[in-house]
Parts: sequence; structure tokens; C-alpha cells
Amino acid sequence: MDPSEVEFLAEKEVVKIIPNFSLDKIYLIGGDLGPFNPGMPVEVPVWLALNLKQRQKCRIVQPEWMDVDKLEEIRDLERKEETFTPVPSPYYMELTKLLLNHASDNIPKADEIRTLVKDIWDTRIAKLRLSADSFISQQEAHAKLDNLTLMEINTTRSFLLNSLNCMYKLRSNLQPGSSRGKSQDY
Amino acid sequence: METPSYVPVPPGVGMEDNFFSLDDILLSHERLPSRMECLFPRLGFLEKSSDSRDIQEGTKMEMPLFLAKGLYERKRRVVSVELPKVYKEGWRTVFSADPTVVDLHKMGPYYYGLGSQMLHFDSPENPEIAQAILQCCAEWPPGGAIGSNMLGHFQKLMSVSPCLPLSWMKSNIMTFIGRFRRTMDSSQNAYNEDTSALVERLDYLERALFKAGQSGLNSFQCWERGRASTLTASSLVLNYRKRKITDLQP
Repeated sequence: MDPSEVEFLAEKEVVKIIPNFSLDKIYLIGGDLGPFNPGMPVEVPVWLALNLKQRQKCRIVQPEWMDVDKLEEIRDLERKEETFTPVPSPYYMELTKLLLNHASDNIPKADEIRTLVKDIWDTRIAKLRLSADSFISQQEAHAKLDNLTLMEINTTRSFLLNSLNCMYKLRSNLQPGSSRGKSQDY
Repeated sequence: METPSYVPVPPGVGMEDNFFSLDDILLSHERLPSRMECLFPRLGFLEKSSDSRDIQEGTKMEMPLFLAKGLYERKRRVVSVELPKVYKEGWRTVFSADPTVVDLHKMGPYYYGLGSQMLHFDSPENPEIAQAILQCCAEWPPGGAIGSNMLGHFQKLMSVSPCLPLSWMKSNIMTFIGRFRRTMDSSQNAYNEDTSALVERLDYLERALFKAGQSGLNSFQCWERGRASTLTASSLVLNYRKRKITDLQP
């Protein structure tokens, strides 16, 4: 999977905007949106919010978790805990990037938020690498990936799957008679 | 999304090799030290060191893996194949001490593949190797990296028949595991730099893993820097040149 595909999935998340135009309810396959009234907050998917924002038709209200204090709390917890802690949003990395790139004027302390999210990401990736290493070295057969987001799994997927595949093949050599004794045609 | 125009067939790694894999084809040309157990008439040209017409019984020569596999039979002994040096005990102790320092590329670039292929030649009559391997097995710390029930399983096997391949397969896996962390770290951290120094000591199997790790890292970094959103021409189109009419006409 490509990161841009993950980003595409993230654009389905809902975010609150304050429009400065009025429009009746619009009916889409994915659900009804609106009605839009100037100054009245309304919830729309991220793709629409970014589109309206680019046309300067709305102001994006930052998600609740996108707040310096809350992110600092999460970061400290993430550093303290051995295991993965629950993240505020399953697409925290993608949403941060999308919202901060397109609507940084609506979000106070954008730079701090960016740094904090990157810190959280780095801590989690280091943990992921550590657990992948212990997973391999203990030759475990299965693992539970709690609280991991799609983007995080995606960065390590091909590497981990390939190496598990190699491990499996090398291990299946250890089973005596698994493929021994098959006729060889030359 | 970047899809390569050519996806190579992965090597089989296990005892079964993959017929379409280029790596496995190259692997089948690895030379194995072997000893002829009977006379091969008129095949003297295969052995470059002597001028005789026949290959005498008891001649020691190197033969490629594909030939050894074809000639080897457990019931009628035509050739006996020895373990290459890398899989022998001396090297196994090196691997169990610290697998990360070994230059696996130099030790025969298909370390894991060849090791798995060596399982085709179990030679229980080879007492000194069997002995060495039994020792090696006994030296493994119980309940260490390999689960103790697995180890018990191995020892039972060893006592029933000195089935020697198991222990070097074990050291194969341990080598892989021992080197895994380094392969992973180097592949996931080396961004935008020359990786030739990192991969030069890796086996071909590990190189493929390294590449997979790099592709994950690179695509993520590309996305993070916002380069994924800009459209680029496909590499196929870029490589495509217009045919000239003079090339087509004879």
C-alpha cells in the first residue's frame, strides 16, 4: 500500500468547519452534508473541508485532540509505556499533515503541534522496530498489533512480511521429512 | 503509485528451489566439494586438474550444486557431497558467537539458500561431521533462544539417527535472526544516502529484505515531504523511445 492511499482513506475522517456561505443540505452517496449557514459549525469530511478551505469558503476548527497540552500528555505517556498507547485518532499522522499544510492559519501553535506529532510518531516507530526485533528473535508465530495505525503498519509491512516469510521457510527446513523424499526429476 | 514494470520471482529459500527464480538458478551453480564413489568413464573432461579420460573412483573434485543434486542418491552411492567450509563447525561457532560481524556476501552470496539446499545430501556415514554436529547440538543452551521443547525434539532426533542437517539449519536460522536487527535498522534509517557500504556484507536474501525496508521508508518520506502528491511520468513512459523506421526495416 502506498502512503498516499492511506492518506486518501484518512480524508474520510470528519472534521468541524465554520462556513461563511449558505447552502442547503447536499445529498451524497456517502451521506448528507449540511445545511451550511454562515457562522454555524458543521461536520464534514476532511476532503470537503480542505476543498472549501482552499476556496476560502470556511474556517476549519481543529480536532479536539490537536491541542498542545493533550499532545504533550500523549507524548509523555507514549515515552513512559512499554507498549503502544491508544492514539487520539486512527489517522493522527495523516490528519496532522493535511490540516497543518492546508489550514495552518486556523490552527494556533501549528509548529508546536507538528513537532509533537512527529515526536509521537518517532517514539512509536522506534517501539515498533523494537517489538519487531523481539518478535523475530523469539521466533513467535503471531503478534497482536493493538493501537497501531494503518500508516505505521504500512511503513514496515513489506519488510516484516518478507522477513517472516524467509524465517518460515528456514524453519520449515527443520521439520524432518517435510519435503524430504520427494522424487527429483533431472 | 509506483509499480515496477518487472517483478522478479523470489528465491525458494527452502529445500525446494524456485524454477523461475534467477537467484536460484545462480545458486545452483555454487560449487560443492565432493568425492566420487565410483568410476565415471569418459568424463575426465569435467575435471580440469587431470588429463585422464575417466574420472577415477575416490577422486575429490568440486561440482556444481545442480549436478550433485542430480547424481546424489541415498541408496546407490555415486558421489558423496561434503559440507562447504562455511557450514562446518568452525564457522558455525563463529556464527553462533556473533553473526553480525561475518561478511556473508563473501562467504558465498547465497548462504541461506545453499544451506537449505545442502539438506538434500544427508550423509550419516560421515562420522566426524556427525560427531561435530552432535557436539554443536549439545552445546546449545537449553531454553535459550530456541524453545526447550524444540531442543528436546532435536536431541531426540539426533539420538535416533545422526541426521546432521538439522543443526546447521538451526545455526542458519540463528544467523538470520542475529543479523535481522541490523538489516532492519540500517534499511529503515538510511534515507537519501549511499547504501552500498551497508549492503556489501549482506547475503542476497538479506539484500532483498533491505530493499523492501528501503522502499517502505522511501515511500513514507516521499509522502511526508509532499512529493507523493505531485504527478510524475511513469518510468515506463520515460524509458520508452520512439522507434525509428530505419530500425524496423531490414
